[in-house]
Amino acid sequence: MDQKFDLLSTIEYGGCSAKLPAGVLAEVLSKLPVASDPRLLVDVDTHDDAGVYLINDETALIFTTDFFPPICSDAYEFGEIAAANALSDVYAMGGTPLLALNLMMFSQEKIPLDVFGEILKGGHDKVSEAGALIVGGHTIDDHPPKYGLAVVGTVHPDHLITNAGARPNDILVLSKSIGSGALVSGMKNGLCQLEDYRRALVQMKHLNRQGAAMAVKYGVSSMTDITGFGLAGHAMKMAEASGVSFRIHIAEIPLLPGAYKVYEKGSIPGATFRNLEFTGQQVHCTRGVDYNLKMLIHDAQTSGGLLMSVNPDHAASLIEELRRLDPDVSVAEIGQVIPESPRRLYFE
Amino acid sequence: MKSLDTKGLRCPQPLIMLKEALLEMKDGEEIRVEIDNDTSLKNLSSYLRDQGVEPDISTAGKIHTLVALKPQKDITQSDPAIYCTTDLPIDYVVCIKGELMGDGDPDLGKLLMETFVDNLKLQEQLPTHVVLYNGGVKLAMKQSAVCNSLTELEELGTRIMLCGTCIDHYGLQMDIGVGMISNMVVITETLASAGHVVYP
Repeated sequence: MDQKFDLLSTIEYGGCSAKLPAGVLAEVLSKLPVASDPRLLVDVDTHDDAGVYLINDETALIFTTDFFPPICSDAYEFGEIAAANALSDVYAMGGTPLLALNLMMFSQEKIPLDVFGEILKGGHDKVSEAGALIVGGHTIDDHPPKYGLAVVGTVHPDHLITNAGARPNDILVLSKSIGSGALVSGMKNGLCQLEDYRRALVQMKHLNRQGAAMAVKYGVSSMTDITGFGLAGHAMKMAEASGVSFRIHIAEIPLLPGAYKVYEKGSIPGATFRNLEFTGQQVHCTRGVDYNLKMLIHDAQTSGGLLMSVNPDHAASLIEELRRLDPDVSVAEIGQVIPESPRRLYFE
Repeated sequence: MKSLDTKGLRCPQPLIMLKEALLEMKDGEEIRVEIDNDTSLKNLSSYLRDQGVEPDISTAGKIHTLVALKPQKDITQSDPAIYCTTDLPIDYVVCIKGELMGDGDPDLGKLLMETFVDNLKLQEQLPTHVVLYNGGVKLAMKQSAVCNSLTELEELGTRIMLCGTCIDHYGLQMDIGVGMISNMVVITETLASAGHVVYP
């Protein structure tokens, strides 16, 4: 029997680690004209997760895309993770995904063709799980491979959740553990247990569907998903867009088992250093937040959880119900929204 | 001096090697690392600076040589929960109730308070928090003479907490230079749970 093709053998770094540094991206984008239209409810201005366009009083369209090189060895799992990650941007706006298009870069000369099929199958199954449809796609010959999707979803305009609505006194809730970047890097460098790595993969495959449903049900004031810029990077953007600051209790942040150990051994992905540079002076860590934790809050996540800011009266019910619906992932209260202060994030 | 050759290795391998080497080294010992890419040089330097060590970097052609002392800080700690314990004898909170220190001549009181805040950062044991309320919040405004000292304290990990109601009362929302805006719930909790509170 043929040995199974290892997708990780094709690349040097993967997942959201492959993102351009946020600062570089911002500079390039700043030179482009910004689309403006009264129907455009969310544009690039607030660094939100997706564009949102008002169709009529009942419906707004959410439009987003994401793709990246392999972050795991198994083709089917890579397809699942890439799809869960792309769908997440729709969930992060409080929406429901409807249609998706495959975006694939793949070299038939370098990789067996059945790997291509397995990636697509993983993506297809995950999109079906989300209740959406893949209606086509596009493939380009390229190596190393990259896969992702463009996704269209809808949301009632009144229920749209942006990253610009957090209010002082809101409670901050995070719906998945941090550390997937650490464990992917740790596995490559032989610094983590297979079991811990598997747990990270399971979490990355997990749809943010229930989280989004609970966010809508409990009327969260603001939400974003945690991906390549890490918890600190995305929290900073949300605080900035909302004109507030966040106070986050570092001990309450759920960490994937084994992730801390990987960082302690020095296996810190380059993306973490880029994210640290990006947040810079906006992040304050109190004495006692040790180096590895400070770096982990900057760990690039692939298909990470939702960060929500919710009215204190509803936080406990939201967390309790989400825990019941989503017992496989950790949801936790991690801090509060405070009035706009000289820095965006205070970790203590 | 310990030497490491990381040429040909990419991130994060050089950092893994550096951390391993530092664990084996004695206090006061120097390490010399050869690096052949800018990203690793940047990341290793960032790590060392975070541990309180300024690396000495020289570049010849494409090869960077980084020389640094072993950081003093304990880099062996492995338990994330360690962050909530403290190796210091008694934690203390500094509570600043107004702009002036002591009763009497206001000019003198202002000078004394400024000197007190400037001296805080020089203490061997830093306060966990500096809580500022009523007129005290004015010390954390951009135009305050001690704004820089408070910022330095914050950089060192002290929480600077400002009473939000007080800032609103004095209409200072636009002038805040340092600290996070807090409320009486958190301030009460902080003062009540402090090892001891210092009132200048």
